[in-house]
Amino acid sequence: MSSRDTILDKLRRNRIPREDDYELPPVKVLGDLDKSIERFEKSLQLMGGEVLPQKAGQTIEDVVRARFPNTTSICSAVPEVEGTLKITDLKTHEQSNEVDVMVVRSPFGIAEMGSIFLSEVELFDHLADVHLAQHLVVLLSREELTANMHTAYQERSEFKTAFYGVLMSGPSATADIQGVLIRGAQGVRTLSLIWTS
Amino acid sequence: MSNKPVKHAQAAAEFLEDDPHRLFHDERLWDMRQKRDQQMHGMPEWQELRDRASRIKEHTLANLPTYLEQFEENARRNGIHVHWARDGAEHNRIVAEIMGKHGAKSLIKSKSMITDECEMREYLEPRGITVTETDLGERIQQLDHQLPSHVVVPAVQKLTGDVAKIFAKYYGTDPNITDPHKLAEAQREAARPVLLSGDTGMTGGNFIVAETGGFVVCTNEGNADLSANLPNVHIATLGIERLVPRVEDLGVFVRLLSRSALGSPITQYTTHFRGPRKGGEMHVILVDNGRSDRLAMPQFWSSLKCIRCGACMNTCPVYRRSGGQSYGSVYSGPIGAIIDPTFNAKKFSTLPFASTMNGSCSNVCPVEINIHEQIYDWRRVLAEKHDIPFVKREIMKMAGRLLAQPRLYRVSIEGTEIALKTMPRFVLYNYLNPWGKHRELPHPVKETFNSWYRKNRLKTSTKKEHESA
Repeated sequence: MSSRDTILDKLRRNRIPREDDYELPPVKVLGDLDKSIERFEKSLQLMGGEVLPQKAGQTIEDVVRARFPNTTSICSAVPEVEGTLKITDLKTHEQSNEVDVMVVRSPFGIAEMGSIFLSEVELFDHLADVHLAQHLVVLLSREELTANMHTAYQERSEFKTAFYGVLMSGPSATADIQGVLIRGAQGVRTLSLIWTS
Repeated sequence: MSNKPVKHAQAAAEFLEDDPHRLFHDERLWDMRQKRDQQMHGMPEWQELRDRASRIKEHTLANLPTYLEQFEENARRNGIHVHWARDGAEHNRIVAEIMGKHGAKSLIKSKSMITDECEMREYLEPRGITVTETDLGERIQQLDHQLPSHVVVPAVQKLTGDVAKIFAKYYGTDPNITDPHKLAEAQREAARPVLLSGDTGMTGGNFIVAETGGFVVCTNEGNADLSANLPNVHIATLGIERLVPRVEDLGVFVRLLSRSALGSPITQYTTHFRGPRKGGEMHVILVDNGRSDRLAMPQFWSSLKCIRCGACMNTCPVYRRSGGQSYGSVYSGPIGAIIDPTFNAKKFSTLPFASTMNGSCSNVCPVEINIHEQIYDWRRVLAEKHDIPFVKREIMKMAGRLLAQPRLYRVSIEGTEIALKTMPRFVLYNYLNPWGKHRELPHPVKETFNSWYRKNRLKTSTKKEHESA
């Protein structure tokens, strides 16, 4: 008998809990249903992310350049930003590893956590490249916020369609050495958000 | 694997010898527990979440074969290669086979407890495969040839100076670094070239979703998303108990996991894998390794609800003061005490005794596992199987006889009080009394409750009864 069948057979015959004794609770929305921009920003900042203000007359490109005035490498995955190269121009990981600032658009954010979502669609299949960059700038529409994890999983079809879907809540971080929180571990060192309408 | 019982108490005593390590360890874990409490107090629905999490897991375990088949079917449809492993040895063989097909020699992996459980590095390395842990804490433990000390923070028993010494040896950094930022940066710089050149990536999985054929990996450092996406081949090792039925169930568990673990609302990365990336290859290995046996144990099956948050470890006074290394196992702390004996009852027979039975572990568990009750049940099972040391067994027998006879008990309690007052220290504090090793025995009382009650209450109550009659 194959390992698969051995395992399944053992589970079928010997398991103590049985179907009829443990009903599956129906899906339910719990918790705070506030999906305001204020809540999202507060959560994002708690996770180490920042919000970049857009002053009157500034383009999104201006905002990005103002945040990273000295950089010579801005890779863009969005039409709003020209940058120095396009994400689709990246051919090797070594090339991606040189990227300083990556600019992407997230289809939605979660107010409870300050999380933004990215999948192969927004990244044009350049999945690793977004994590190799030193800094990440995320464009997010004010209209695309959901309140919390329950509403996110119930409302957003991306969780059922994407092959790769990451919720990023601030930049990479670690507290593995003597409990000291360090923002910027192995992935992006900073995560900044720019609102769009 | 040696079969000799782990000398937990002895190893813990050694850990307690060094004040800086002992004090930091205790404070750090208690800080995580307090941050968890702050999160909990900000959420009125916390208990309802725990209750739902527990019920979803119980239902899934009661229907495990069906949901596993559903997951397999959906994962295959998404283009994932699904493998099944009865035990660690089979799992390791499958990994070697997949890598062999590609002529791959370098495995870059994110943290997963289950590959430690399978002793995968020990199997692959002699076969010419370099395994690199890319999580900072797990990497520190790998370089130091130690098992993880904690399920979430693997190197929590170490201080900055310890890490500086290890990195100096392997990364050539200054051994006197005192700033953790510099050490974390050294890890980033050392890991990048290995990540870029690795030919196979590996992750674990916190949750498997039957309905979508996908799985979720919750991490903070970004190393898992790099490890999984840089090489062409991604292998995910998944324990069969990690299933949930629906994608919406993730809402319940993601809200509980990092809050219970570190007291942060969510991990920095919550990554949903559902199929291979364009041009890539994805393998999932569903590992049993004792889980189907555990599901057949009436007292212990519900330990399979565990989501590996480590809250029970952070709250446990024994774990905080003995350190993860003293458990001599992949899983330490209260959860280790109840699942380790299912792997090897003799070797881990001492672990269910590393508890004060205060029940705090059960109270903080996000999936409501009755951990302290299972610790008690394990003691009974091990005593029946004679898997506990002779001295402990004999003392328990004596205590049993004493507690069964009230008169004998009272006489001996009075005797103990006199002994505490009059005996010299060397009689009270010796190897027969491990309780007195690191703490003082209680102060003797002037009078036992029983004799006070006889004098003051018994007579009055008898008198009153007479009067009312």
